[in-house]
Amino acid sequence: MSATAPAAAAAPTVVSARALTRSFGDFIAVDRVSFEVARGEVFGFLGSNGAGKTTTIRILCGLLAPTSGSASVAGYDVATEAAHIKTRIGYMSQRFSLYSDLTVDENLRFWAGAYRLWGRVLEGRLRWAREVAELERRRRTLVRELPGGYRQRLALACCLLHQPPVVFLDEPTGGVDPEARRRFWDLIDELSAEGTTVFVTTHSMDEAERCHRVALMHAGRLLALDTPRGLKADFAAGTVLEVGCALAARALPRLEELPGVVNAALFGDRLHAVVDDPARGRAIAAALDEAGFAPVTVTPIAPSLEDVFIRAIHAASREGAT
Amino acid sequence: MLAVAAKELLQLRRDRRTMLALLAMPVVLLLIYGFALSFDVRDIRLAVVDQSRTRASREVIEAFLTSGYFVRVADLDEPRPLNEMFDRGIAQAALVIPASFGADVAGRRPTALQFVLDGSDSQTANTVLGYARQIVNATGAGLFAVELRPPVVARPLVWYNPDLDSSLFLVPGLVAFILMVSSVIATALAVVREKERGTMESLRATPLVALELLVGKTLPYLLVASVAAAGSLTLAWGLFDVPIRGSIVWLALITVLFLAGGLGWGMFLSSLADTQQVAFQLGLLSSMLPTLLLSGFIFPISSMPRALQLISHIVPARYFISALREIVLKGVGPEVWWNDALALVAFGAVVLVLATVRTVRSL
Amino acid sequence: MRTLLNILVKELLQLRRDPRILPILFVAPVVQLTILGYAATTDLRRVELAVCDLDRTSVSRDLVRRFTDSSYFRLVASLDDQRDIDHWLDSGRARIALTIPGGFSADRAAGASAEVQLVADGSDAMTGTLGLSYAYGVIQQVAETEGLRLPVELRPKVLYNPDLISRNFMVPGVLAMILMIMTMMLSSMALVRETELGTMEQLLVTPLSPGAIILGKLVPYAMVGTVEILTALPVVLFWFEVPLRGSLVVLALLTAPFMLCTLGLGLLVSTLSQTQQQAMMISTFVFMLPQIYLSGFVFPIQNMPKAFQVVTYAVPLRYYVQVLRGVFLKGVGLEVLWPQGLAMLGLGVAILTLARIRFRRRLG
Repeated sequence: MSATAPAAAAAPTVVSARALTRSFGDFIAVDRVSFEVARGEVFGFLGSNGAGKTTTIRILCGLLAPTSGSASVAGYDVATEAAHIKTRIGYMSQRFSLYSDLTVDENLRFWAGAYRLWGRVLEGRLRWAREVAELERRRRTLVRELPGGYRQRLALACCLLHQPPVVFLDEPTGGVDPEARRRFWDLIDELSAEGTTVFVTTHSMDEAERCHRVALMHAGRLLALDTPRGLKADFAAGTVLEVGCALAARALPRLEELPGVVNAALFGDRLHAVVDDPARGRAIAAALDEAGFAPVTVTPIAPSLEDVFIRAIHAASREGAT
Repeated sequence: MLAVAAKELLQLRRDRRTMLALLAMPVVLLLIYGFALSFDVRDIRLAVVDQSRTRASREVIEAFLTSGYFVRVADLDEPRPLNEMFDRGIAQAALVIPASFGADVAGRRPTALQFVLDGSDSQTANTVLGYARQIVNATGAGLFAVELRPPVVARPLVWYNPDLDSSLFLVPGLVAFILMVSSVIATALAVVREKERGTMESLRATPLVALELLVGKTLPYLLVASVAAAGSLTLAWGLFDVPIRGSIVWLALITVLFLAGGLGWGMFLSSLADTQQVAFQLGLLSSMLPTLLLSGFIFPISSMPRALQLISHIVPARYFISALREIVLKGVGPEVWWNDALALVAFGAVVLVLATVRTVRSL
Repeated sequence: MRTLLNILVKELLQLRRDPRILPILFVAPVVQLTILGYAATTDLRRVELAVCDLDRTSVSRDLVRRFTDSSYFRLVASLDDQRDIDHWLDSGRARIALTIPGGFSADRAAGASAEVQLVADGSDAMTGTLGLSYAYGVIQQVAETEGLRLPVELRPKVLYNPDLISRNFMVPGVLAMILMIMTMMLSSMALVRETELGTMEQLLVTPLSPGAIILGKLVPYAMVGTVEILTALPVVLFWFEVPLRGSLVVLALLTAPFMLCTLGLGLLVSTLSQTQQQAMMISTFVFMLPQIYLSGFVFPIQNMPKAFQVVTYAVPLRYYVQVLRGVFLKGVGLEVLWPQGLAMLGLGVAILTLARIRFRRRLG
């Protein structure tokens, strides 16, 4: 279920990047990335490991300086006004960085203090945090004794204590069970409804579906940026076919060679083929049948984000190869 | 087991900073050691209070200054400023010649000089006093044109180290010290690191036996430390003319035994600790200071109170240094140092067993 | 500032949570000090002596007795054959061998100088030198009891430490070394641990300035160091009975800049290392060991080649050793030791600045 996007025209831009580039020696981690994120948006950064998502986030948080290009967060430039940015953002790293040898309360108090929350304001935020993380009964538990799901929520709560307008979440659901993941995303939706801008990186397609807009990153480059529906709409109807056959893995190379198949990939024990014309279906069935992979079924399906992603990557690497 | 060793070696090789510390620093320390450190004392700051101002007193002063040990920092008429000079460290010693000195010498009457010493560094003080006595005895005899005939005269002979060159004495000890510290510390972290990172679990899933695991992790450090040891000894031999009179084979054997013990100790410590911080502190405190002070490296064991002498029996460096000195300086074979070697083997065995038992239990 | 307090509380909480740390931090130093205080002595005692008395008269036995009566020597062997000496020295069971020739008493009776032979094991130069000099001392005593006076006698007057008890200096020195090791160890792991565990990034994203983070690491360890001194000092003063001629206040005042240096060095190492293991290696080998050697604690600085002497000016322990000698043994105060205090302060500030710069640079 994807949330409805906020009225794009009315919401101001909170995060923007213009030809943002970061290289480490010869290696270009982020390659001329540009985008804009509106207030209250849940903005997803989708890509496999090493695509440059974490580096981009670190630049936006003021942890890393860009090699070229520019970016601004909450009205401040990341390169020159990094110190100001820090008071206006929340950041949750991949490792959930909590102090495992401290208790829930001790962690909350420390991070609150780091954001200069004291006195009654502090106590109020602490109450909120404990509620959100469902840890009211576990205030004195050591973090290392908490189950993964709770740690995740605690980490999120910690980065929201100072009620920042923008929140960066780097792979926030790693190693957490599906139920906890779902509830976590409910939280994100709530935040967005309240006007907080949420910038999420993920490599899970399911999560990407829940974002207002998704940016696809691969090898440091921004391949596509649109709402999930928009990305999928790029495919003309009927152009993604699900192919069921025997020995699917062995059939894949044969399928790719067939005329009109733009790309093909293995999805479990079935194959997805992106074709230039829905009519190709019959020819594909026949060809595979001949090649000895019977029985063959071909069904048009609605494209998923994964299909979109794979197609984008294949296109990009074809571009790079030529 | 070899797989574990290979992985550890690869990781170690990529860790350039640790490699640098393990290999280069011992060499640098050795250089400092050999060039800079000795027990001999020179350039002693001497304040002279000559209240006699005669030819005799000047002769005595000359004798001090030309001895090469003393340097005159002040020429005073009376001893009062001395306190302040000693307090401030401007003078380390002072020669006070009484007004009657010249007259006494002329009249061939026995007389005395006062020699003031800064006793806060007792070792230096002892040495300085020894020099001063020698000088005064010789000069005194000369002044009185008397041939001193002490009832008993000693003819000294010094074996193995005729010049009592302190570097010969210190260098083997230094090698031991460096090896002990690096082997214990490097390996104390090995297991703890895995524990902290949580990769211990995955290792446990493999069919490795605990002992294999331990030895596999130890091997690369053993290798690196051995290279460092060999380098140090070669350097000592090349640069400082520390003779290696014994056989290299024995040398290598003893070193390996010692290293194995040190590494085992490090392993044992790492099984006691849950964080690298604790492991490091345990390692440092149990290896560095004891090796420095209880092994006979600098301070002789025989001078220590009984209790400490007993404790020194469990410091492996004690045996290593003793054996090393005997092999390197005396050139003797195992019939002399076999007990040291045995002690090292015993230590190594006990420690490795302890380490294995504890690691198995904690897994 | 409250932010600092916040960080402080967290650090101390973390320290307290590690159950092994507490005994190590507070008990171990005291134990170490006690043991090592006894070990660190340069006075020789009970050196193993082998005697070969070929004269075997009451005169020669008298000489031997003088040796054994002194606390310096311990008789391990009475040999009949001079060749046995080789064996005893080779095996290390004797360190000094005294041979009294057959004509000894005859020479003495005739009023001539009688010769004896001393052989020393030089492989242990310290025992060798001192052993020999003690032996000379014993022999000289013979002259004194005979009433033979040297024409010019040297009367020594030893200041500050009249009995030349090496412990009076060694024990405070060992305390300083332990302090240095502990504080440097703690602070060198401090920053690296956060990096290794991943919380460093989280810290940097907050409004906390790098300076605040560094300071927040310094203060708790300074507190730990102070407590360590306070627990160890009574051992020095009351167990070892090391005289404290100067004032405790001065000692405290001058210990502060020293701790500043050691903590700063530890932090500097932290910024130079990517893993805790590296931090340990670097702090031990690059900063701790050379400091011990070059500080003048055991090996006098004035004997070093000029180049090394210059280097020692950058060694904080060098100044602290002078402070210890001054306060414990000489009983002087700030009017003499202010240069040392200033030097340590200057070094400390320089080191911390360097650490901060490196920390900043590491942030990309």
